Amino acid sequence: MPRVVFVGLASCFGCQINITNAEAHLVDVLGQIDLRYWQLTHSEPMPEEFDVAVVEGAVTTEEAVSTLLEVRRRASAVISIGACAATAGIPGMAAEGYLTRPVQVYGEHVPEACGTMCAPRPVSSVIDVDFEVACCPVDPLEFVRVLQQALYGSNSFRRTSTLCGECKRNERGCFYGRETLCLGMVTRSGCGARCPNLGRPCNGCAGLSPDANVPAARRVCERSGVPVARFDEALEMFNQTNPAISA
Amino acid sequence: MLYRVIDASELPSLVSAFMETYEVVAPVRSGRSYAFEVIESFDDIVLDYPTTITSLKKYYLPPRETLFEFDKDGNEVRDFEMRVKPRVLFGAHACDINALNCLNSVFEDARYPDPYYEAHKAATMVVGVSCMPSEGCFCHLLDSDEARNGYDLFLQDIGDRYLVSIGSVEAANILESACSPREATDEDRIAFRQATRRRQAAFNPEIPDIQEIPMLMDAFHSDPFWEELGGRCLSCTACSSVCPTCYCFDICDTLDPDGKSGRRERVWDACTSPQFAQVAGGYNFRADGRNRVRHRMYHKLNGFLSAHDRNLCVGCGRCVYACKADISPIEVLRFFERKGAENA
Repeated sequence: MPRVVFVGLASCFGCQINITNAEAHLVDVLGQIDLRYWQLTHSEPMPEEFDVAVVEGAVTTEEAVSTLLEVRRRASAVISIGACAATAGIPGMAAEGYLTRPVQVYGEHVPEACGTMCAPRPVSSVIDVDFEVACCPVDPLEFVRVLQQALYGSNSFRRTSTLCGECKRNERGCFYGRETLCLGMVTRSGCGARCPNLGRPCNGCAGLSPDANVPAARRVCERSGVPVARFDEALEMFNQTNPAISA
Repeated sequence: MLYRVIDASELPSLVSAFMETYEVVAPVRSGRSYAFEVIESFDDIVLDYPTTITSLKKYYLPPRETLFEFDKDGNEVRDFEMRVKPRVLFGAHACDINALNCLNSVFEDARYPDPYYEAHKAATMVVGVSCMPSEGCFCHLLDSDEARNGYDLFLQDIGDRYLVSIGSVEAANILESACSPREATDEDRIAFRQATRRRQAAFNPEIPDIQEIPMLMDAFHSDPFWEELGGRCLSCTACSSVCPTCYCFDICDTLDPDGKSGRRERVWDACTSPQFAQVAGGYNFRADGRNRVRHRMYHKLNGFLSAHDRNLCVGCGRCVYACKADISPIEVLRFFERKGAENA
């Protein structure tokens, strides 16, 4: 049975917790793996041997870099889960001037527990990632689906199309006709546009699509009465470390 | 074709009669727009709706449809029975009926008949209704403003009554039992003629009427216009989600959470999706917006016509509203108009 470990880096651990919301299916899922380590529930340190590593959170310390290099060396498959792992996410919001922040928070005596801090970055900037589960937090069943891809293989792949196509299928109308900022037009699809379906604009937690057309999206904002500066600022929440948004 | 006249006040009893045996889908309000949804009563229906966000395609080709189920461990396909609800699509505009006719010519192709599509179609009745064009409508420029076939009933609004074209025995029987259809009089025929003329006069004159579109598509295949149009594509695939005739799909296997069983599913795909033309080995033969948008427009305004003898664009205008980057067949027609002016 494939040995699986869960590793938590800089994050709120909300994605790990949300996996337990698979509730009805949780026992079935655990029955398919040999769960060797789950940082959220285990007191013992992570074992040295495993097959699949699930990583949550952004890289913010040199210690995390070492952990990841070790994880990559040992695991045959690495799955990153959540916005923080995929885009540097929430820690990434503080990327600018990051190294001056510990002193701002703690004063002269920065606790040792902070580790050797480095600017926040996504897991994929340190090691090769085989599978990614997007969003903040991850959808528990989407996680299960991706885990199964790692366990059994799969003939499906992630698309890079942006969100509006999925959103249209919900038939809720578009925020841009109401002069309301929404990041769907540059954010990677896959979530089914569930926030717009609940009446809330997309905040971009699935991350900027590699095929996002940011200049064209800015022109849409201009035409639709949404200030481009607000669009750019909103994009920083989940994409601050992505070089494409400064293009 | 058989024609009868009913009073507008008889429509509720017609819909109620359908609801006795069928699930009835009709245009209803959805926020500031409209959508086809299952109705609970006649009062839910907004019959003078301009258009809906997505089309009736979803009832023939659902966005996600199970083709069969399988056991992973036994590597076996299970017996699978498709469940289809008998359904009436009430209030379809002529463009949308023509769009369904396009889908029919694809999925009923004798060489590759599609049993899933066939099952939906066999269980579905279509009741059309006449309409007045809105700003983005250009069905008349693509020969789709009249539904000549593909419906069970078509209701032509001629004032306080409807001239009803009858397309099937099943629907005729329901019409007969629920209403008091009568022979059309000269007065009815004149009212129909006037309604048709009013509609013809109401199309947006800003949308250019271009002759020989398929030939122009070939002639201007390498024009820089395609870079300008496709370069602003957001790769969101809203166009094909709302399009009543985009029928491309992908097929994928999805495991159930227990890892023991799964489903083979058909899901909507789109040629404006960046990976649509990516092949084994990773090569993508339509790797940018220019190529993808041009391809989509070609299929709509040129390619399908030569294979199926009808335009794959029915001028419904949905993509005109759905595309925030302002990419639509209307922009192509405007480009041809500019080219004509330059040459003159």
